[in-house]
Amino acid sequence: MIRALLLFFWFASQTLSPEAVQHMQAGIAADKQRQFDVAVTEFRKVTELEPTFADGFISLGQAYMEKRDFASAIAPLKHALEVDPDSTPAHQLLGYALLVQGYAAQAIPHLERVQDKTALGIAQIQTGQLPEAVANLQAALAARPNDPDILYYFGRASGLMSKQSIDTLLAAYPDSPRAHQAMGENYFVLRNMPDAEKEYRDALRLRPDILEVHLELGEVYAGAFQWAKAEEEFRAQAKLQPGNAEAAYRLGAALLEQGKVHEARTELSRADKLMPDMPETLYSLGKAASLEGDAASAEKDWTKLLSIEKESSLAAQAHFGLAGLYRKQGKTAAAKHEIEEFQRLQTSSNPPPAPDKEESPH
Amino acid sequence: MLGGGRNPELLNVLLRPSSVLTLVLFGAALAAPVFEVRLPHGLDFTLENSPTPQKHLIETMPGGVALLDYNNDGLLDIFFVNGGRLTTPLPTPDNFDRHDPRYWNRLFRQNKDGSFTDVTEQAGLANAGDGNYGMGVAVGDYDNDGYPDLYVTSYGKNILYHNNGDGTFTDVTAKAGVAAGGWSVSAGFFDYDNDGKLDLFVTRYMEWDTKHSRDCGGNYHTYCPPEEFPATTNILYHNNGDGTFTDVSQRSGIAAKKGRALGVGFADYDGDGFTDIFVSNDGMQQYLYHNNGNGTFTEVGLEAGAALSEDGRRMSGMGVVFQDYDNDGRPDIMVTLLPREIYGVYHNDGGGSFSYRSLETGLGVLSSGSSGWSIGLEDFDNDGWKDLFVAQSHVLDNVESIDPSLHYLDVPLLAMNHNNRFERVDSGVTTPVAARGAAFGDLNNDGWEDVVVTCLGGHPQVLMNNGGKAGSKAYWLVISLRGTRSNRDGYGARVQVNGQTRFATSAVGYLSASDKRLHFGLGTAEKAKVEVAWPSGIHQTLNDVHADQFLEVKEPEVREPEKPNP
Repeated sequence: MIRALLLFFWFASQTLSPEAVQHMQAGIAADKQRQFDVAVTEFRKVTELEPTFADGFISLGQAYMEKRDFASAIAPLKHALEVDPDSTPAHQLLGYALLVQGYAAQAIPHLERVQDKTALGIAQIQTGQLPEAVANLQAALAARPNDPDILYYFGRASGLMSKQSIDTLLAAYPDSPRAHQAMGENYFVLRNMPDAEKEYRDALRLRPDILEVHLELGEVYAGAFQWAKAEEEFRAQAKLQPGNAEAAYRLGAALLEQGKVHEARTELSRADKLMPDMPETLYSLGKAASLEGDAASAEKDWTKLLSIEKESSLAAQAHFGLAGLYRKQGKTAAAKHEIEEFQRLQTSSNPPPAPDKEESPH
Repeated sequence: MLGGGRNPELLNVLLRPSSVLTLVLFGAALAAPVFEVRLPHGLDFTLENSPTPQKHLIETMPGGVALLDYNNDGLLDIFFVNGGRLTTPLPTPDNFDRHDPRYWNRLFRQNKDGSFTDVTEQAGLANAGDGNYGMGVAVGDYDNDGYPDLYVTSYGKNILYHNNGDGTFTDVTAKAGVAAGGWSVSAGFFDYDNDGKLDLFVTRYMEWDTKHSRDCGGNYHTYCPPEEFPATTNILYHNNGDGTFTDVSQRSGIAAKKGRALGVGFADYDGDGFTDIFVSNDGMQQYLYHNNGNGTFTEVGLEAGAALSEDGRRMSGMGVVFQDYDNDGRPDIMVTLLPREIYGVYHNDGGGSFSYRSLETGLGVLSSGSSGWSIGLEDFDNDGWKDLFVAQSHVLDNVESIDPSLHYLDVPLLAMNHNNRFERVDSGVTTPVAARGAAFGDLNNDGWEDVVVTCLGGHPQVLMNNGGKAGSKAYWLVISLRGTRSNRDGYGARVQVNGQTRFATSAVGYLSASDKRLHFGLGTAEKAKVEVAWPSGIHQTLNDVHADQFLEVKEPEVREPEKPNP
């Protein structure tokens, strides 16, 4: 920005009074040294001496913004646009200043003018233009995929849009199965399991073949350690959707928790066929095989998992499981190697094996 | 001495025609025990933990219970450890008002009619020291005089009470040199070097003190998780045989690893003749100390497969029992944990290796929603298989406000062992409590194991085992060991009866000490073969031992074979 202004200044100085040029130079020098109060004083003198010199007002507005005084920046930036309605820096800075001050609706035309997708998306969240905000933030994210601020605002816009849709559903069709399902999901997030269960049950009463509710209700029971009930719901989901890999996986996991190892293996194998090479499924398959005494299959499943995931917590668990298998088989060196791999991953993904600072689910 | 022959009352019952008819009709049909939950007359004890809004961590951790026959009259007596008073602000130096009778530990002598008499004061056990907030208790005859001694752990200083044999105890801590310090939790007597004298192991929780106490959980104000405070070392005291002990924690290797220990169990897991130690740690890996047989120990939990969950996760180890649940002759390990973990079952596979078997044994369903503290493996229905009992309650007294799916107060878990799979049955307890300690023994000498549970802020729960539902009949055998070359109570001996195995110890679960006698259910067998592997190395076999009796087995005085001259 400063570079652009310097260029502008070079041209503009051809027509400015020597005194204005002197103050402009002093303001720029102060700005470079982050002496923003001095810069503001100098740029203000430029605007007093040259009231039709738009860049003087832009510089003054920018100096205010750099000293976090966004409210004072707005007037000179507006004046700059009166002098030069097409000034891109004036539109952009004014859009930022207005947005920061909470005047999102006023900021939007300026931000649209310069097509600043990030700021525009943020402003549109505030004005409730959620589809537009999602589109703009998605475009911003495409340009900067790992920007944490954009990731946050994109998530927020998407979440709000989802909520808006659910609110509409609840207002318009409060006794519909989907409304009960949505309420169940809300209660589940709040860990209010009794009400979540009630809402899901209502949804199923109204539409017994409604998709996904059995799966979600099963999760409620699993969260409350009621594995038999969880199994029942996951089984119902699997019956409704025999091609649903998640339903098969969840059913297998619930069976495993109850020690129904053989049945668990059947369901987990089905999940693996429906969606091959899912690390979670492979880990549970290996665990079930190990519990059933089928060391060869357990080794195969966990080795396969490790060919897909080498550094994750599941990989660490697979190494730990393999260590147990090898220990039982008397393969001491192999068991030791797996424990070392397990410890390496534990240390890298989860720093504290030292007993002074270890985590606990306490 | 306890027992000494067939129980005449039981014989009378058996000889009644209706009982004979029942036996004919039902044969070997065994049933779950029927516990009668009641507070025996005179057992007037309240565990005063003094909960505060400041959530000082010690207040959710007591207290232990011991079942012992302190006066050798054949009846089990009960010793309770009390907490103390916590005030705001906490005074400096620490003062928990233990001189106030409300905060005394209590010894109750059992009378012949099953009632109890508080003998705390006359026994010399009244004031445990104002600076000591009580935790647990260990029982062992450290001087082999035939009378069980008491070791009481605390936040503060621990106390060794010598049993004088005349109904009184003497605080011999200073002379013995076993005060420890810091925050001691579970403890146990065992003979690690097989010299015939009981040594002492003391677990310590963490480096916490009242000056650094704080709460956690933000607006929820909860007790802090263990990782908020530094880990600390456990202590091993060697018994010098002259009434003194030597702290050998460093030179034995016990202090080489810091932890956050809560429970301790003793058994010879690898059959090398030396008692090993399992320590349950909170929020980290569990420790298995292998006894090297030369006065040193090596921590081998991870290598042996007894340190983490099946998925390699650290666990909130609390209580522990180190006994053989599947009758394969090798001691297994069970550890109680917090909700969303599953009580740990480490099956001893032999060869110094363990495998995690919580799911196969059915504990996934039974335990994933509960917090367990003390734990015992006892044959409650006398069918020849050890069953499971766990004292349960969450650590946090406001856990419902944080997670409505969890509960602070709980009922115990009683699960019968059916082919090595545990299945829950009714314990008879209908009132949820904040249970902590639990000890096991046959209080009324009827051949059926009873349970005493301590409850924060309340009276203990006493579960009297009435011997199963009508129609069931199962024989039993209770063995008292009488060591001669080994320590007098035979702690560390491996006792096998009709294919079942028990490892002699009184240390159990969390903070507690069980009846030192070894109880065996015999199912339909009227006779038993008894094999004892004494810590001295002597093996002893008794054949055709009649069931339904209290049997004392004395270690034979075997002379060492003469060594040939070089």
